[in-house]
Amino acid sequence: MTDSKGPERGVPLIDGIDKVTGRARYTADLDHRGALVGRIYRSPVSHGEILRLDVSRARRLEGVVAVITGEDCRHPYGVLPVAMNEFPLARGKVRYRGEPVAAVAALDAETAARALRLIELEVRELPAYYDADSSRAPGAALLHDNKPDNLERAVHHVFGDPAAGFAAATLVREAVFDCAEVNHAQIEPHAALADYDPLTERLTMQSVSQVTFYLHMMLARCLDMHESQIRVIKPFVGGGFGARVEVLNFEIVTALLARAAQGRVLMELTREENFLTHRGRPQTTIRLKLGLQSDGSITACECEVVQRGGAYAGYGIVTILYAGALLHGLYDIPAVKYDGYRVYTNLPPCGAMRGHGGVNSRHAFEVLLDRMARELRLDPFTVRRRNLLNAPTRTLNDLMVNSYGLGECLEQVERASGWHERRGRLPAGKGLGMACSHYVSGAAKPIHWTGEPHAVVNVKVDWDGSVTALTGAADIGQGSSTMVAIVVAETLGLPLDRVRVIAADSALTPKDNGAYSSRITFMVGNAAIDAARQLKQLLTAAAARKMGLQPDEVECVGGTFQALRVPETALPFADAVKAALVDRGTLTTKGTFTCPPESQGGKHKGGAVGSTMGFSYAAQVVEVSVDEATGQVTVDKVWAALDCGHAINPLAVRGQIEGAVWMGMGQALCEETRYLDGLPAHASLLEYRVPTSAESPPIEVHIVESHDPYGPFGAKEASEGALASFAPALVAAVANAIGIDVDTLPVTPDRLMEALVARRRQARLRALGGQRP
Amino acid sequence: MSALLPGFRILRPAAVDEAVAACEGQNDARYLAGGTDLIVNLRRGLGTPAVLIDLTRIGELSDLRCGDGGTRIGAGVRIARLAADPAVGSRYPALREAALTVAAPGHRNLATVGGNLCLDTRCIYYNQSDWWRAANAFCLKYQGDLCHVAPEGQRCHATFSGDLAPALIVLGAEAEIAGLAGRRRIAVADLYTEDGRAHLRLAAGELVTAVELPPGPVRCGYAKQRIRGAFDFPLAGVAVALEVIAGRLSALRVAITGTNSRPFLLEGTTMLLGRAVGEAVLAELDKLVQKQVRPMRTTLTQANYRRIAAAALARRLVASLSATAPTAP
Repeated sequence: MTDSKGPERGVPLIDGIDKVTGRARYTADLDHRGALVGRIYRSPVSHGEILRLDVSRARRLEGVVAVITGEDCRHPYGVLPVAMNEFPLARGKVRYRGEPVAAVAALDAETAARALRLIELEVRELPAYYDADSSRAPGAALLHDNKPDNLERAVHHVFGDPAAGFAAATLVREAVFDCAEVNHAQIEPHAALADYDPLTERLTMQSVSQVTFYLHMMLARCLDMHESQIRVIKPFVGGGFGARVEVLNFEIVTALLARAAQGRVLMELTREENFLTHRGRPQTTIRLKLGLQSDGSITACECEVVQRGGAYAGYGIVTILYAGALLHGLYDIPAVKYDGYRVYTNLPPCGAMRGHGGVNSRHAFEVLLDRMARELRLDPFTVRRRNLLNAPTRTLNDLMVNSYGLGECLEQVERASGWHERRGRLPAGKGLGMACSHYVSGAAKPIHWTGEPHAVVNVKVDWDGSVTALTGAADIGQGSSTMVAIVVAETLGLPLDRVRVIAADSALTPKDNGAYSSRITFMVGNAAIDAARQLKQLLTAAAARKMGLQPDEVECVGGTFQALRVPETALPFADAVKAALVDRGTLTTKGTFTCPPESQGGKHKGGAVGSTMGFSYAAQVVEVSVDEATGQVTVDKVWAALDCGHAINPLAVRGQIEGAVWMGMGQALCEETRYLDGLPAHASLLEYRVPTSAESPPIEVHIVESHDPYGPFGAKEASEGALASFAPALVAAVANAIGIDVDTLPVTPDRLMEALVARRRQARLRALGGQRP
Repeated sequence: MSALLPGFRILRPAAVDEAVAACEGQNDARYLAGGTDLIVNLRRGLGTPAVLIDLTRIGELSDLRCGDGGTRIGAGVRIARLAADPAVGSRYPALREAALTVAAPGHRNLATVGGNLCLDTRCIYYNQSDWWRAANAFCLKYQGDLCHVAPEGQRCHATFSGDLAPALIVLGAEAEIAGLAGRRRIAVADLYTEDGRAHLRLAAGELVTAVELPPGPVRCGYAKQRIRGAFDFPLAGVAVALEVIAGRLSALRVAITGTNSRPFLLEGTTMLLGRAVGEAVLAELDKLVQKQVRPMRTTLTQANYRRIAAAALARRLVASLSATAPTAP
């Protein structure tokens, strides 16, 4: 499938064997003996006022232990302190079909299902809106009383002088793009196991969370408990992609049920309920205008983005800010105007999804740039090269760019794909397209700003010689625990298998801001190196003492302390540990990492979003075949280059790049949510069409290493940056193959057929017109 | 989707007669073979049979004989086995090709020929969870009285999506059906009727036990349009069987699935006989297909696309099969 163009090959994930042998325990696999079965009663209507909710018959059913409603939690929760407008169970109003209204805990699943059928809900229906336009229309009923025009947030940013930029352009073009809503479709369905001990009044929560610290905080808030009474543990998690970055209603509901039942409750959501919980990438309409000089230099960019956000705030404000902020940081653009609108609609709430906020506006940008290059008779690579940044620099919107490997990415995929030799010379129906993208390596300003470091890692060494890294970072399949093990082992000079990682258990591990914005490698990696370096100092000093040498005369290599100038003098690691523990006992060092204020974005409103210590960069070439008879697009091959600074684990980096390409391919080709009057018609893995192995093309991965000055060993993020360049490269390849410009995603056969039929009709009309005298 | 199956009793008869007798008088009994269609539907609350009659112990149903004397394929033959059978593949390429497009390998290992023939019809308003359908006041096919696809109409438009049926139809296959009165045989095409709610012409308790085909070999093929190369049901599926003598079509049969409530044999193809396959013949074929398919909004993919795709597949199959046909009689 892939070649090995990177440096050394890297190592398999440290928990890989557990996963492929089935030994790994995901939330639903945990020992849940004695747990009650939790189930959620969901709104059948899109929008309405709750007139009556009667759960008394459900409560009386034998085998039902607890039934809860909106009355049981009066605290709204959410991501941003300014936009917490969601209740775990609806209060007063329901705003989308599938919104949780009540929940039951019963002795078994049959009883729980029966209890749901006994719940009576009476609603006075209100007008419902399933698209941004009708929701924003004058006179529309408001979803949230404090949000006129159903606008969650409008963003207006201007940097530089766009009018002057367009005036200076040789070519100005404007186009409107439409990207369908997509969902993470992570393989493991949502689940939570909550255990409430009535004697100690403590709650232990195990869930599929990407950010256990948010969950911890929101449980305390919604259950009116002190944080210290709660323990949150993340078991193995089967993928997140942003679906589990924010705290989800079912998690709080499970905890509320456990407390109401004074015991344990296991909640497993069906795939349909996963789609109802949603939090994916919103349907987005992008109106984009670009100005180019005849040599391809970009003079100005004007972009209007409307996101259909769904019924609650969630991450919406962040998403709409990212959509504008990430217009910057990839190319050198002298003027950017951005207007973003996040709109409430009566659909499941959208949220963060891989490439958060940036993917759809990047799609529009790259596609329009490709078309304008064609018009100017410039090669798409030439246009990109004309607009490269010079690192280190700061963008117009005040984001730091410290390392920049985009030029190298372009060269790699240009050469590997045989771009110049092959493009335009392929057989009929085949085409090549390219595009670029980037992404942050961790948000430099966390949402919950407490003054704490951005990351804390403890490394412990004990009498048995074992080294344990303790991190709150959630490994959700992306390999973060392996990354921590590698940097600790490498720093200490130990073989990888000497390092254990304990992750994401609030009783054991230091708090971490979690798995979002691709922050873990950069921030937690740096904190882990810091902790390991401190431990190394202690151990080296002890080893040197024991060996009668000075610390700078000793080094640990492959698990043995070696006298640098006396090759035959060595001390096993375990002996060095014993020496270091004398008088002090078990050693734990604490490493931290903090993003400095100058990395935290501009002073303008919303300026913190998009800020990061390091951007990853990607370039991609996609080759397609288009069947004009059926409208089917087949991806024949993909060349993807990613500048991840330094590949700490090349094997994992390759896996992440392939995953990003593949997820981008899903959005480009076939994934989309579809609602029928607010009911999700796509709510299964049959109708929500994630590509299968049959569609998976060969992906040739090229790892580019620009050695970021601040990244751990020079590393940056590797899992999100390559996603956003797939779809525009595919659309460019389709245009190259059959001369049709597609403005909508996904490029399904029926959409492409519509364009083909329209073209044939126009050709017929032209032919008729040509015959007239 | 509710993860819960409804409660049922399961019977495991060892012979066809026993199975049919067990079904007698049980209004809510269902036959179970591979379960890849039925179990998924039951988990969604589509039906609450009190009895499931498991057919997997009936040896006769998994007979597969293919030779010069003709071919008999037991209804219990797994689709993976059908696809892998070399004799079937060489005599009836269309059948092998159709079998290989059914769902994904895991399904094909379980799913059976009879199950694929008797596949329930599908609709985006029907193949949803109990919660979903209840929130939408159910539908004409099950528990409701309105067809959301064509609210003004009186009938259910759910679509038949089996891949094997069109191949069997162009191959002139017959279905053997067991009932209390014994066995009867009908053409596979006659097994179906254009009604999404009751598309199978089977009396209560009747069981398809086998299909039988003339020995062949037949110049034939199957093509299926879908979004993904696995899992997906056909947006349109077309089977073609033809003969070419001296460069002219001497026989042509086209059957289509995925567009109507039944798989059907395309009418009017006789007017194409005696002619060389070229743009004129293909254009007429295209028209015949577009005129006879009846795709409705039963899928998330546009209905009109399915019409165009069905015609495109038919053209392509007829063109490629006639091109590879030997020109001498």
